[in-house]
Amino acid sequence: MKKSIHHQFFFPHPPERVWEYLTNAELMAQWLMKNDFQPIVGHDFQFRTNPIPSLDFDGICYCTVLEIVPFQKLSYSWKAGPGDGKITLDTVVVWQLQPNEKGTDLVLDHSGFSAIENLSFYNGMTDGWLKNLHKIADRLNANYGTTKI
Amino acid sequence: MLRLLSKDSLTINSLGEHFDMSRPAVSKHVKILHAAGFISIQDIGRERHCTLKQEGFHQLQEWIDYFDKFWLSKLKKLETLLHNKSIQKK
Repeated sequence: MKKSIHHQFFFPHPPERVWEYLTNAELMAQWLMKNDFQPIVGHDFQFRTNPIPSLDFDGICYCTVLEIVPFQKLSYSWKAGPGDGKITLDTVVVWQLQPNEKGTDLVLDHSGFSAIENLSFYNGMTDGWLKNLHKIADRLNANYGTTKI
Repeated sequence: MLRLLSKDSLTINSLGEHFDMSRPAVSKHVKILHAAGFISIQDIGRERHCTLKQEGFHQLQEWIDYFDKFWLSKLKKLETLLHNKSIQKK
């Protein structure tokens, strides 16, 4: 099961230009969503898009700027829910820009889907136990005939 | 808590017995899990029974799938935007 989102894109443009599109509210709206972002650590802002009823998502992402390293790194919290300020998704978005001779590698990590981690950890454990129990059953069967788990 | 509830539904009191936590702290945890859609709470007599809701987990996976595709399409849009911009400037 996937626990986080990772994307890497190459742009044949300098980091400064890519950075503009990540941190200027008007430019961000052109490719991402309408927003009231400001490049200030601690600034609370929102992204707005259309609601998605099947996800119980009212179309608003509640964000807070967590880190800014000009032209290198930007991160913000990313929370969402069904409405009335109720939060059912609490995650973090991290952008990293790596310059190279031909342009910029832009790396996106969207993580913090923590309940999934708990569940897959739990699944791993139960599967492991089940396998062990089957092994024991196989041995018992070999020695003593049929045993049922 | 989720692991305990994955085996059986429990009352808030019996759930709390497994943790070194005050009763209000247990209630707070339960409230958060309930708000997040991971468990459902049912009043039976004077006791409150907690049951694991599998949909809560499926929903989180749906969020991940949704935002995975979301970012990919947005990044492609950014790519096009930057490309067109650089053509205009030339």
